Amino acid sequence: MLRKAIPLVIVAIVSLVAVSRLSAQSTWPTADSYVNADKDNANWILPARSYTGNRYLTSTEITSANVGTLKKAWATNIDARGPLETSPIVWNGTVYVTSSHNDVYALDAQTGAVKWHRTYKPHVIAFSANRGVALGDGKVYEATLDGHLIALDAGTGKTVWNIVAAHDTTNTFFTMQPVPYKNMLLLGASNGDWGGIGYLSAFDAATGKRIWDWKTVPGIGEPGHNSWAGDSWKRGGAAIWSGVAIDPASNTLYVDAGNPQPDFLGTIRKGANLYSNSMVALDISGATPTVKWYHQFIPHDTHDWDPAMPPVLFSGTVGGAQRNLVAAGDKGGNFWVLDAGTGALVYHVAVSTQKGQNTEPNRKGDVACPNTNGGVEFNGGSYMPDTNAFFVPSVDQCGLWTSPGTATYVSGQFFLGGAFPKLVGPSTGYMSAIDIGSGKFLWRKHLAFPQIGGALSLSSGIVFTGGVNGDFTAYDAKTGSVLWHHPTNQTIQAPPGSYSAGGKQYVIVASGPAGINFADPRFGQGAPTLEGTYTHSTKATITAFTLP
Amino acid sequence: MRTIALRLLAVFALVCGAPASAAPDDHAGALAALADVRAAVTEIVRIEDGYAVGHGPYLRAAHRAMNALVGRRDDGYAASFGDPGDGAGTLGHLDTMLDKEGSSLWTPAIEGAKANVLAAADNLQSAFGEKEMEDYQADLTRALANLALVVGRPSQDGVLGGISGALGNTTLGVPAGIPSVSGCALPARTPAYGIVAQRLVYVALPRRSAATTIPDELSVARVVVQGDDLILYTRASDSAMAVCRRTAHLQRTRAVAPAKAVPWYTAAQAHDGIAVYRKSCLQCHGADLQGTAGPAVAGTEFLTTAKTNKWTLSDLRTTVFQNMPFSNPGSLTPKQYADVTAFLLASNCYAAGTKPFPQSDSPAFAAIKLGPIPAANPSNPKLRTCTVK
Repeated sequence: MLRKAIPLVIVAIVSLVAVSRLSAQSTWPTADSYVNADKDNANWILPARSYTGNRYLTSTEITSANVGTLKKAWATNIDARGPLETSPIVWNGTVYVTSSHNDVYALDAQTGAVKWHRTYKPHVIAFSANRGVALGDGKVYEATLDGHLIALDAGTGKTVWNIVAAHDTTNTFFTMQPVPYKNMLLLGASNGDWGGIGYLSAFDAATGKRIWDWKTVPGIGEPGHNSWAGDSWKRGGAAIWSGVAIDPASNTLYVDAGNPQPDFLGTIRKGANLYSNSMVALDISGATPTVKWYHQFIPHDTHDWDPAMPPVLFSGTVGGAQRNLVAAGDKGGNFWVLDAGTGALVYHVAVSTQKGQNTEPNRKGDVACPNTNGGVEFNGGSYMPDTNAFFVPSVDQCGLWTSPGTATYVSGQFFLGGAFPKLVGPSTGYMSAIDIGSGKFLWRKHLAFPQIGGALSLSSGIVFTGGVNGDFTAYDAKTGSVLWHHPTNQTIQAPPGSYSAGGKQYVIVASGPAGINFADPRFGQGAPTLEGTYTHSTKATITAFTLP
Repeated sequence: MRTIALRLLAVFALVCGAPASAAPDDHAGALAALADVRAAVTEIVRIEDGYAVGHGPYLRAAHRAMNALVGRRDDGYAASFGDPGDGAGTLGHLDTMLDKEGSSLWTPAIEGAKANVLAAADNLQSAFGEKEMEDYQADLTRALANLALVVGRPSQDGVLGGISGALGNTTLGVPAGIPSVSGCALPARTPAYGIVAQRLVYVALPRRSAATTIPDELSVARVVVQGDDLILYTRASDSAMAVCRRTAHLQRTRAVAPAKAVPWYTAAQAHDGIAVYRKSCLQCHGADLQGTAGPAVAGTEFLTTAKTNKWTLSDLRTTVFQNMPFSNPGSLTPKQYADVTAFLLASNCYAAGTKPFPQSDSPAFAAIKLGPIPAANPSNPKLRTCTVK
């Protein structure tokens, strides 16, 4: 009896291991899935689809010929306490999204039905926003407004672990979507307008244990430290808050550090203020990151013009030669193309109106363009190899900047050395297609409302983007003509995504209330859209579209 | 424990309680030094502006300027040319001020002024020997540039502020016989000089007295009328307020019973603030003041955060008046800002009184900490907010 039982137990254990291995492979993405995410049209497992940061798909069911018939497949309303900025993560028929206040939802990819919903009541420091979750080994990871990093059971939404990931929760919060890489979760902290110093952290995805921090402001004795006058570096800002790109082959991480602080008072932080407003290429193969190169876009910024656009790595043709490039965009209205290997500038293109950029804010007040929400925003743009074109939405606004000439740090309050600028003149936007070969516009659309919805390009010749007025639009990639559009009746501040379920391709986008930064008096009066006007809805919705 | 409390008390006393004043003779000395520099400048400018034939008048002007600067006890003094100054010379006055043990906040400015006087004297010395008119003029232009730095300007601290900056921003500006008080609060009676950590925060003067004169060397950043008094805040007041806040924090860390809440606004103001809130704040902060896209501004959520972050009434005021409404800061009238601040205080269950919330800042606000009020009787017990009528 006993002798017979032993082999049976062993068999049971062996089969259990085999089953769990099998289920791990089929149920959750592996390290290989992430590296090859750009080849998987069924799922969307990284914030901007792949480690390159490029929202681009080949061989899709939706083409420029049939996109005109695209229909709403489902729409699910979620928590509407603030604007939606979530980039949906899709895996195996489930869509994971977040609300502004960190509610997490698992939705059925074919019907939009809520599988589970985890509510949250975070303390809000200033802006309520969240850009979405990361997916790991049976877990959904979310970084919250109250400075926590939380792992939920992907099947049930129950908390697996919950850590305080921000170093100072009085002035730091998270809006960034965590990025899984190898055994790590990469996460930047939002503290760049509240008196902190920017940092990117790596956490152990299994346990939540901190592996390393990389600070964006060099400390005493570190290269670049002397780019800050006196003690100004101690509250220098340069937060990492939008997104990153990774070249897994060389373990290089491309990341943009935000504006220096106090935002609008440069006199107390003389110098270039490294690595604020810079793209930094980090070698993350070792125990802690090391700087390979950096490129500072706007040295000594005094207008909060941080490079909000997440970096996009691509191989493009410039002047007839194929080159490895990395693109960036800043709130100062610039689109940048750098050499991905060296950080050397290839060129930059102004995609929004620029004016008065070299005058520091003062007591009297000066008009400068773009406004603080202007230029290229946090959802960035998309590169299409088929046309060698980059599609980048932008905001066109001007602002009136003033600074009283002093800045006082008060814990939990803005550390600006002034106030955010007042909007001066119209608030409009552009959708631009830039020919990478020449750095010239292939086409440009001047639109009545700011454009911050990122871009999704399909090799079949389509570019999707959403406007702040709620129009979700498919443009012809070659001409810029509108192939299809849908009024969501809410503001779109989130990027489009794509997945397949039940043999059909879906395009998905989040829309919601205007929030703080893109509130517009025109919403109350019936904002113009391509189809007429609409009354601004205060709901928050995830909408998926598919072909009939 | 007791030692720590005593030490904190000592720090508090040092910063706010018993301001370290300049000796009154230093104030007089600085004014006399300034008068001598100005006499020297006048000599040079007058001859430059006029027209004279021959070297004589130019040489005489340079010597007279030199005399005013260095004083009769210096070797460079040439009595035969006369002295437009008081005889002691700028250098004499500055040396007297510096020839003491220890240093003050104003010491670097006065040391800098002295260095510039010496540089000016050097240029004048060189002018005495010039043969060509243009060389002479070049020397005097250099001397004038040095002297501009000696005079300095009240709007600047430290070396660049020169004598004026030291008079306008530090204890050096306090004349003999007028009381200096802690600049963290308004004075009980005027005239008075408000001092924080050797910085001159304000000069408080009786508005209707015939004897009232505004000091010449004062960097007035803003003027506040407080009852019958005029409070002239200096440019140094902003940084001094930060010191007040830190000190208030130190004071808070001592185990003392919270001060009884003094009403800071009227019920009428809070009522007027309802409309302001609805129009300019509600969209982001919510109808129940618990925040939508923006943060909560009343009740437990707000007051607990205020306590954690050690916010004072001054911090609240600055945020509202300076940074809000977020998309159009500074766009409300001073009355609207005061009303909506009163509305927020009322919504947080702070008691109303008879004194309106002022439209201008008060240094006293820096010492008033915000936080949950145990005695409050909220109309919404769950959120611990009070409905404003």
